[in-house]
Amino acid sequence: MLVPFSMKNCFQLLCNLKVPTAGFKNTVKSGLILQSISNDVYQNLAVEDWIHDHVNLEGKPVLFLWRNSPSVVIGRHQNPWQECNLNLMREEGIKLARRRSGGGTVYHDMGNINLTFFTTKKKYNRMENLKLVVRALNAIQPQLDVQATKRCDLLLDGQFKISGTASKIGRTTAYHHCTLLCSTNRTFLSSLLKSPYQGIKSNATASIPSVVKNLLEKDPTLTCEVLMNAIAAEYAAYHQIDNHINLINPTDETLFPGINNKAKELQTWEWIYGKTPKFSINTSFNVLYGQSYLEIKIVIDIKNGRIEICNIEAPDHWLPVEICDKLKAGFIGILLLEN
Amino acid sequence: MALRAVRSMRSAACSLRAASAPAAPCLPRPWGLRAGAVRTLRTGSALLSVRKFTDKHEWITTENGIGTVGISNFAQEALGDVVYCSLPEVGTKLNKQEEFGALESVKAASELYSPLSGEVTEINEALAENPGLVNKSCYEDDTKYPVTLCGVGGGRGTPTVPGASFLIRSSSQ
Repeated sequence: MLVPFSMKNCFQLLCNLKVPTAGFKNTVKSGLILQSISNDVYQNLAVEDWIHDHVNLEGKPVLFLWRNSPSVVIGRHQNPWQECNLNLMREEGIKLARRRSGGGTVYHDMGNINLTFFTTKKKYNRMENLKLVVRALNAIQPQLDVQATKRCDLLLDGQFKISGTASKIGRTTAYHHCTLLCSTNRTFLSSLLKSPYQGIKSNATASIPSVVKNLLEKDPTLTCEVLMNAIAAEYAAYHQIDNHINLINPTDETLFPGINNKAKELQTWEWIYGKTPKFSINTSFNVLYGQSYLEIKIVIDIKNGRIEICNIEAPDHWLPVEICDKLKAGFIGILLLEN
Repeated sequence: MALRAVRSMRSAACSLRAASAPAAPCLPRPWGLRAGAVRTLRTGSALLSVRKFTDKHEWITTENGIGTVGISNFAQEALGDVVYCSLPEVGTKLNKQEEFGALESVKAASELYSPLSGEVTEINEALAENPGLVNKSCYEDDTKYPVTLCGVGGGRGTPTVPGASFLIRSSSQ
């Protein structure tokens, strides 16, 4: 159901900012800039879902700025076991989220800025959005060498990835979101986005690892606040709207009816793990038996995050066939948890 | 209402002409295969297919209460190379205009909307291994054969049509 972006909605959204009543009409004219006060990845992803589902963006595009506490976000059709180190994430308390857009896996922390450009499907144009970001960066630092690639990445100095892109295209609306590395913990990023799991065979979309760099390392004046303000200013200029960043609370049901259910759904096992495309694990390990090593082979098929088929090949003298069969049967249907 | 799955009017004309030709070496060839299926299922003559398009570039043709769903040529060109097809499970009940799956291409997830209500009876398994089939067509004698992305149709017990896409039975049956 599409809810026209009414004056009433605008008033509610703007009430965190001191805007003179005379300014309402102008502000609503052709766009809006929102910034989340939350750093919860699920709540912020829920805002994207909500705007995508409920807002009529005809003539009124929206820019949404958000940052998350440490989280790993995988793409719609990805396999978390393949993309990241789930054990390390659990030890460090890093959240795992699956977003609804495509693309690869990213690490978010407060040094990373997320930008979401909402438009109608007709106006969907990722390169146009990325050019806007580049203009914004060059407006505050003309010496900065930032270019958009054909794959919609932003590269610094022609070699370091500072931004990755993904998008979702719906019935009448679309959104394009991208990251922007300002002061992210790069060491942590590398270790988290490396999967230790062997033997996974899958049709899931795979990430393409890149060498990354932070903008703050290039120029210490480029803090997250400075970058967000610069991009908001460029967006406002481009769409000829007032340069007001409207702070929003993603848990506010009066502003976003039904949003907390969306956030809940994004946290369910069924969504995060259960939506993993079918995959198999084909691995073997050695066990010491007497004076020699025996090779135990395991093949597991996993569908919707549950073990569907399990085959264990072990020498009969180590594991009798009957027990082996019982063991195999016992695995079927088990949910594959993070570890 | 008997209809047939094709991707463009031009393809439909070509497919009709080629319906009597033997199966091409490349897969899938839904037109030819479905013609075969119709002969085993029906006593009447196969009716000309009428392909209906939604304004979101999904098309549907139906036959014997079986609908076949796909995306238009325009849509697959606009998408670019498809790298993943997310299709529903057999048995899933769908409502008209509801999202039933997604296609991923160049880091964009594009939702697929069902043009009709019904129950999924079959899906094109080939698309799991080879999502690029959405973009491709088989070529034989310069005739472009449509790749049925999603087949819709079939009541319970309907024989599986090899190469057909996922099938949804119209709930009006």
